[in-house]
Amino acid sequence: MKKSYVSRLNLIGVSLSLASILIILQMVRIQNSTKHQELSQWADEEYSYAIENYYPERGNIYDRWGRLLAGNEDVYEVGVMLEYVANPATIAQILDGVNQLNYQDIFTAASQTYDPEKSVYAVLTDFLPSGVIDTLSQMKQDYKLANPNGRKEKLPSLQGVVWNAHLKRSYPENALASNILGFYSFMDRENGIGYYGVEEYYDDLLAGTPMEIFMPRNPYLLEDLPDVPAGASLVLTIDREIQAMVEKKLDEAVEEHEAESGTVIVMDPRNGEILAMASQPRVNLNQYWKYEEEFEDKTPFNRAISETYEPGSVFKVLTMAAAFDAGTVDEETIFNDPGRFEYGGSTIYNWNRRGWGKQTMQGCMQHSLNVCLAWVATELGKEDFYKYLQAFGIGRRTNIDLGGEEIWPLSTPDDSDWYPIQLATNSFGQGVAMTPIQLAAAVSAVANEGKLMKPHVLKAIIQDGKQYNTSPQVLSVPIKPETAMIVNSMLVESLKEESSLALVPGYSIAGKTGTAEIPVEGVYGIELTNASFVGWGPADDPQFLVYVWIEKPGSSPWGSVVAAPVFSSITQDLVLYLDIPPESNEQTLIAKES
Amino acid sequence: MIRKSKQAYKQAPWRRQIQSIGLSLLPVVAIAVIIALYLIISGQAAAAGLQIMNLHYEEEEILRTIANQRTQLAWITSYSQMQKRAEKMGYEAAPEINVHYITIAGYQGQNAVLIAPPPGIENDSALLVNELYNLSLSNWFLDTFFIASSNGIGEDS
Repeated sequence: MKKSYVSRLNLIGVSLSLASILIILQMVRIQNSTKHQELSQWADEEYSYAIENYYPERGNIYDRWGRLLAGNEDVYEVGVMLEYVANPATIAQILDGVNQLNYQDIFTAASQTYDPEKSVYAVLTDFLPSGVIDTLSQMKQDYKLANPNGRKEKLPSLQGVVWNAHLKRSYPENALASNILGFYSFMDRENGIGYYGVEEYYDDLLAGTPMEIFMPRNPYLLEDLPDVPAGASLVLTIDREIQAMVEKKLDEAVEEHEAESGTVIVMDPRNGEILAMASQPRVNLNQYWKYEEEFEDKTPFNRAISETYEPGSVFKVLTMAAAFDAGTVDEETIFNDPGRFEYGGSTIYNWNRRGWGKQTMQGCMQHSLNVCLAWVATELGKEDFYKYLQAFGIGRRTNIDLGGEEIWPLSTPDDSDWYPIQLATNSFGQGVAMTPIQLAAAVSAVANEGKLMKPHVLKAIIQDGKQYNTSPQVLSVPIKPETAMIVNSMLVESLKEESSLALVPGYSIAGKTGTAEIPVEGVYGIELTNASFVGWGPADDPQFLVYVWIEKPGSSPWGSVVAAPVFSSITQDLVLYLDIPPESNEQTLIAKES
Repeated sequence: MIRKSKQAYKQAPWRRQIQSIGLSLLPVVAIAVIIALYLIISGQAAAAGLQIMNLHYEEEEILRTIANQRTQLAWITSYSQMQKRAEKMGYEAAPEINVHYITIAGYQGQNAVLIAPPPGIENDSALLVNELYNLSLSNWFLDTFFIASSNGIGEDS
C-alpha cells in the first residue's frame, strides 16, 4: 500500500516533469523557427510603431504691441469609418448643405463597401468650425440613445461618423495689413506654403520643422517621445492702429480722386522700422483663394515693394542732397531759370513751361523746377550723380523682409542703354524707375542725418520660448549729416513758403511733392500721372516718414493737390498715435520739466 | 531534542511528506513571487507608458486649445470689432484741438512688447521637481552615508 502510493506519486511527478520539459522544448522550438522570426518581424513592423506625421503649430504673427495678426484656430475634419456606418442616408441628410456638401456626394461616400485593405475611412469634409461639431456630436448622442447599435434601419443613426481636430491658419483682422502679411495656403494641409509678404519671406521660420514621428506602441518605449517645437512666432514693427488709419485714409483718397490705386508707407527713418504699409487692392486673407479675383492682370500683391514706376519730383530730394553733399551747390547758389534747358539733344521744360528767373536752390525745390534740377545734375557730373544714386540704393533691392520685392535696374553711363539726356531727366525723377519702398528708404537717409537704414518689418522672433529682438542695420551713408541738415531745413522752408496742403498745424514738416508723367505709347503727357508726396517730421528730430503715392488720379494730376492733403491728414493722426506733441506744446513741456 | 524530532516523524510520517512537499514547493513559490513582482512592475510601467501617451495627446489638445483661444480672443479684440464696440459705447476719436499733452515724471512711453523672456533668463520650471526624485537608490545611499560622513570628517578636521 505504502509502496504503491509512493510509486504513483513518483509517476505523477515524472509525468509532470516530462510535460514541463516538453512544453519548454516546444517553446524553444517555436522561438527559433523561421515562421516565428517572420511573424516577429511582421509584428515589429506593423505594431511596434505607428508613423505619425507631425506638423508643428505655425508660428503667430503679432503687431508691434503684441496684437495678433495671424494665428491658428481649431477646425475639424469629418469622415466616416466605413466598417461602422449603419445608415448612410442619415449621414447624408444631416450633412447636406454643410460646407457646400450635397446629399448625393455624402451618400455615395458613406455607402462605400468596407474593405480592410482599400476602403476603411472616407473624408466627407474639412475645416468645420467647432460649433457645427458640437451640434453633430449632440445629434449622434441622441440617435445612439434611440438606436444603440444602429441596427434598426428605420431609425436614424450617425454611427461611423468621426471627426478629428486640427489647426487652421486664421487672420483675425481679415484684410487689414494683408499686403504686408501675405497668406498661408491652409486649404492644402500637407503642402501648404506661405505666399507673399511675411508669410512667404519667413515661411521656414513660421512653419517650423515637420517631423515624421515613430510613435511606439510598446508602452515601455513611450518615454522616448520627441518634443516637436512649434514654428517661431514673429513680432512685426507694424502698428495695427496706424495701419488701419492709413488704409482708411488711402481708400478715401483713391475714391475721392478717382485714382486707379494708391500706396502709403509710414516708417521710422531712425531705424528703418515700417510702421504701416498700405496698398490697393487688398484681400481677406481668410479667403485667400479669392486672390485672383482681386488681383487681375498681374496686379502686384503689394505695390509698395513690387511695382516700379517713375517717381517724378520727389526724386529731386536725392539730386539736391547729392549736389549739396558734393559741394556743387550751396545755400547761396543762384540759378537763373530761362524755362528751358538744352541737353543731350533734347529740351527740358518746367512743369508750367515757364521760366522762373533767378532762384536759390530752395526756390528750385519750392517751385519744383525741372530745368534747375537738370542744371544741378549736369553741374554735379554724371559720374558723381550716379555714384550718389547708387549710394542711395537706387537700382538695388532694399532687401526688405517681405516676399515679392521687385526692382528696376538703374541705367548708368557705363550701360549701353544709357543716353546723355537721362542725366537731365533722371534728376527730376523721370526715366528712372523704382518701387515706393526704395524711394522711401532713400529719402529717409536725408531725414536720418545721412544714414540709410535697412527698411524692415520684423521686430522680434519668438523661438523656443525666448524673444530675440532684431537690431536696425545701416545700409549706407550716402550724404554727410551736415548736408542732411541743410536739405532738411530747405524742405521745411519750401513747404512753408508755398503754403503746402501737406503742412500739419503745430509741427514742422519737411517734404516734397511729385508729379510724374506716365508715358502712353512712348509719349509723356499730363493726362496720366503718378501723384506723390514724401515728408517727414518733426523736422528737428524726425520720428516718422510718410510716403504717399496716388496712381493715375482723375480729379487732378498734381501731387500737390492730390497726395499732399493725404499726407497731411495721415500725419495729423499719426502724431497722436506716436505721442508727439506740437512744437509749441513741446516747448512748454520742456520748460515744465526743467 | 533531535531524538524528540525523530520520534515525532516516526509517529506521524505525513510530517515528512509535508516537509518534502514544502521544500519542493519553495522554489515554485519563489518563482511565483518573482513573476508576480515582475508582472506588477510591468503592469505599472505599462500603465505609466500609456499615461505618458495620454498625456502626450492631452498636451497636444491643450496646445491646440490655447492656440484656438488666443486666436478667438484676437477675433473679439480685432480692430473692426473694437471700433464697433467703441462706437456703440458712445466713444469718438478726439479732435486734435481736444488733445492736451502733460508731463508725467519718469514716464518713458509705452514699453516694447515682450511676449517671451529674452535669452539669458533661464526657465526655472526645472526646479519645480525636487532633486531627490531624480536620485537613484544607489546614489542616494552613497550621498547619504558616504559623502555625508566624509563631509563630517572634513568638518571635524
